Amino acid sequence: MADRYSFSLTTFSPSGKLVQIEYALNAVNQGVTALGIKATNGIVLATEKKSSSPLADPSSLAKISLITPNIGMVYSGMGPDYRVLVDRARKVSHTGYKRIYNEYPPTRILVQDVARVMQEATQSGGVRPYGVSLLVAGWDEGVLPEEELEKAKAEKAAAGEGKEGEGGGGGGTGGVLKGGPMLYQVDPSGSYFPWKATAIGKSATTAKTFLEKRYTEGLELEDAVHIALLTLKETIEGEMNGETIEIGIVGAPADHLLGVEGVEGAVGPRFRKLTPQEIEDYLTNL
Amino acid sequence: MSSPFSINGGACVAMVGKDCVAIACDLRLGLQALTVSNNFPKVFQYGENVFLGLTGLATDVSTVSDLFRYKVNMYRLREERHIAPRTFANLVSSSLYERRFGPYFVSPVVAGLDPTTGAPFICGFDSIGCIDFAKDFIVSGTATEQLFGMCESLWEPDMGPDALFETISQSLLNAVDRDALSGWGAHVYIIEKDKVTKRLLKGRQD
Amino acid sequence: MEVLLGITGKDFTLIAASKAAMRGATILKVSDDKTRQLNKHTLMAFSGEAGDTVQFAEYIQANAQLYSMRNETDLSPSALANFVRGELASSLRSRKPYNVNLLLGGVDPITHKPSLYWLDYLASLASVPYAAHGYAQYYCLSLLDKHHQPDISLERGMELLRLCADELKRRLPIDFKGLVVKAVTKDGIEVMPFDEDEVVKGT
Repeated sequence: MADRYSFSLTTFSPSGKLVQIEYALNAVNQGVTALGIKATNGIVLATEKKSSSPLADPSSLAKISLITPNIGMVYSGMGPDYRVLVDRARKVSHTGYKRIYNEYPPTRILVQDVARVMQEATQSGGVRPYGVSLLVAGWDEGVLPEEELEKAKAEKAAAGEGKEGEGGGGGGTGGVLKGGPMLYQVDPSGSYFPWKATAIGKSATTAKTFLEKRYTEGLELEDAVHIALLTLKETIEGEMNGETIEIGIVGAPADHLLGVEGVEGAVGPRFRKLTPQEIEDYLTNL
Repeated sequence: MSSPFSINGGACVAMVGKDCVAIACDLRLGLQALTVSNNFPKVFQYGENVFLGLTGLATDVSTVSDLFRYKVNMYRLREERHIAPRTFANLVSSSLYERRFGPYFVSPVVAGLDPTTGAPFICGFDSIGCIDFAKDFIVSGTATEQLFGMCESLWEPDMGPDALFETISQSLLNAVDRDALSGWGAHVYIIEKDKVTKRLLKGRQD
Repeated sequence: MEVLLGITGKDFTLIAASKAAMRGATILKVSDDKTRQLNKHTLMAFSGEAGDTVQFAEYIQANAQLYSMRNETDLSPSALANFVRGELASSLRSRKPYNVNLLLGGVDPITHKPSLYWLDYLASLASVPYAAHGYAQYYCLSLLDKHHQPDISLERGMELLRLCADELKRRLPIDFKGLVVKAVTKDGIEVMPFDEDEVVKGT
């Protein structure tokens, strides 16, 4: 009976499940583990770079991708599907945003756009769902977490008068001017979740338990990279070195990547990938 | 005389002050020399402190202002925040350029305060979306020549809200009095950090 | 030489339209009605290119009535005015735009506030206390500028209309065969008796 609902198109089974999506999640859960940790001043994305043969050239392989100067992405699951999504994400961030507003999309908007692409693959004819889960890390302009805390403190001090909560920087989530580091997971169904730290792929459960133990509030980016490597170490199968580990960070603007100097108002990308040398340096300090 | 930009008449001006901006428009709607209405505002508000002035063909003033009301409402729902003046200006630009080979016959003006820094922002556009950023003032409509003269002589840097109101009002009123196609009263908006003041100027009714 | 006039007052909107149907210099009909009722409280008068006028007006009328049937409620005059503007505006940038000028008069079914909307073929929309289309604008708007008050009674409104009709007959080079006059009040739309030969005394 179940076989009737397990062919190419996503159709509800009588029990209310979309088994094609569950199969897609199975593909994700067989994928190489990837993880992301949000710090106060940035985010780290990390994954293992596995090559099937010692003859493969690891420097030509990349699983963490830049989408916009401030947003990066990593995946677990099917590599080819991921490349399609990276292309779509890069394209939609321009057609759907930069070409309209002359600025790059905030992380949540980009995540929603990618999630829409993935959702459409669960409801359209003649297609299969994407066999990947994504971790999307980005930095949004706006009121940063520290400033928000200070403002909340100041408001508490000035409390008493019943001031109207106008749409200013104001309260916590989704506020008008909320900025800072953002970390999201997107699944094949098109659902997405914001995380402080999470992992996807084969050893996601182990990694998440480890992260739960290691994660603390007020984490700095350097500590986050450290924790990311420790977590990977728990789950990794092969050797850990600059060639086999891939790390992307969202941090302070990297003006050295700008390609120009002394241009007024030019700000470097916040997302960048660590070089094998940088990863080696972190590993020796582990 | 039968240019789409000067059938209905109208004037608009925006000015920068110290930590404030102002935008003002006349109220006339005409058909060539005949005045049809003296209550046709050309300045529209999109969010807390983002304003758009539209002069030109009256039908396009309505169409374009409605279009941006739709686009800005969708932006606010999607992003859960108000649109910033600079972002809005880029939206205006790209939306107008979309109609490059069949343009809306309008000359928009954007004025507002940056929501994060509070810095004044004004700019103007041609009908196909080329942005004209300015540090002092922007004028548009059938009284542009007169407005340029008035603003050039009355405007000075770092005016407070009261001085700015006086300056923009006198500039507009005296400019439209020398233009047969503009006038019949005015709307003036003074935009400060967390206060927007709208004033109605009666003006000459002839 | 088509005449459209509209006047609002305290609790009514008056719409008047010339009765002559013309083709070039020939008068084809002397009892033409250039108005259509959109719903109980809204009336639309139209002038412009021959086929376009009735076609467009009845398209709007059909849509207004369809809305009323579907929703068991009428669109307000302002909602209708903006709907008409939208239709006219999209027509303006189409291959063959409608060449129609309109006056839309109504009384809000809830607040009983009278309103009058002026629309030209470019889809310029303005809410006005009194309005005219065509050559009538040049003769009548100045008259109404002098004599109109926002809170006038229906009787006074008819008086002003006679004043306008008198001036038009005096000045227009072609006979427009008198006016159909309709009054929109909270009770609906009523055809008003209008004797164009009545002598107008100075007001």
